Amino acid sequence: MARKKKENRDPGEVETDMTSMIDVVFLLLIFFMLATKFKMPEGALRSYLPKNRGESNSRPVLSENCRITLQVRNGQVVAYADLNQVAQNEYLESDYEQFTGIPGPNLADIEAHIQNRKASYVPLDGTGTLPVVIDFAKEVPYKYVIDVLNICARTKIDNIAFAQPGVPIE
Amino acid sequence: MARKKAKKKEQGVDMDMTPMIDIVFLLIVFFMVVTELSVQQAVVILPVASEAKVEEPQPRMRVLVVNVSFDKEAKEIVQLMNGPPLTTKELEAELKAEAVAFGQWEDNPFSADPEKRLSKLQVTIRCDQGAEAGNIHKIFAACQAARIYQVRCAAVSDRLEDPYIEQP
Repeated sequence: MARKKKENRDPGEVETDMTSMIDVVFLLLIFFMLATKFKMPEGALRSYLPKNRGESNSRPVLSENCRITLQVRNGQVVAYADLNQVAQNEYLESDYEQFTGIPGPNLADIEAHIQNRKASYVPLDGTGTLPVVIDFAKEVPYKYVIDVLNICARTKIDNIAFAQPGVPIE
Repeated sequence: MARKKAKKKEQGVDMDMTPMIDIVFLLIVFFMVVTELSVQQAVVILPVASEAKVEEPQPRMRVLVVNVSFDKEAKEIVQLMNGPPLTTKELEAELKAEAVAFGQWEDNPFSADPEKRLSKLQVTIRCDQGAEAGNIHKIFAACQAARIYQVRCAAVSDRLEDPYIEQP
């Protein structure tokens, strides 16, 4: 109010009224504060593709690799570790249940199998780690493929191949 | 200056609002930038993988994100970054165009043919955990056709994490 008494001021002086700008700026600030949703930090698992385009697999002895097969049967994801069926989980994993509700194999069994194979693996040429082939049917939920990939990462296996349909690896 | 003179005469109290406005503007700029970042990618429920690592972007590195999500009719759609839904053929063409545009190649240890050099472009697949894994076959095939071999599958390390806490 005091400011508006113009008789006290130098008539040549120009003063901006900042009230309206501050009003708008605060509105903007509140809008952006409410509209902001922070990005979740996302990790990634390496799944590099073979450099020789994958069609001609040149590994010398393919029978020595460990093959994890995922299929959907009777509404369940069934896994085979080197053609032996892995036991099914008795319960649905809680965070997955709410999305599709497809029960899956016992991941601990798959991990134990890969660990066993890795421990007894003797590379023919003296180098390299156990090759693991992940062979999944197209209707398997992606989550289970990542589970197997995660097991491979945890057991420090870096020689992973994905079986492509129509491109027989064995 | 004029204001200060007037204050003395009138015995009134006048606030200097400059620092407050500075801070408020800074906050606005911060929130505007952060908001921009958070809407760049499709809404995808990523699978959980304890070994998933958060990789810091390196200089001169380009990462393309292929999103596999569900649309409103619960149909699976494949997008490159935030683009329109693509078929496998279209994705392959887009990836090839991106690899050529990026223009950085490395030698193929299996072939001396310059046509078979490998692109240094990287691809991260952000696939919804409930989507069919068959999409991955198609994306892998498209990446191989575009001579991109550095492919990663996005996952979160823990579903229960607080999104505001940085991962180690």
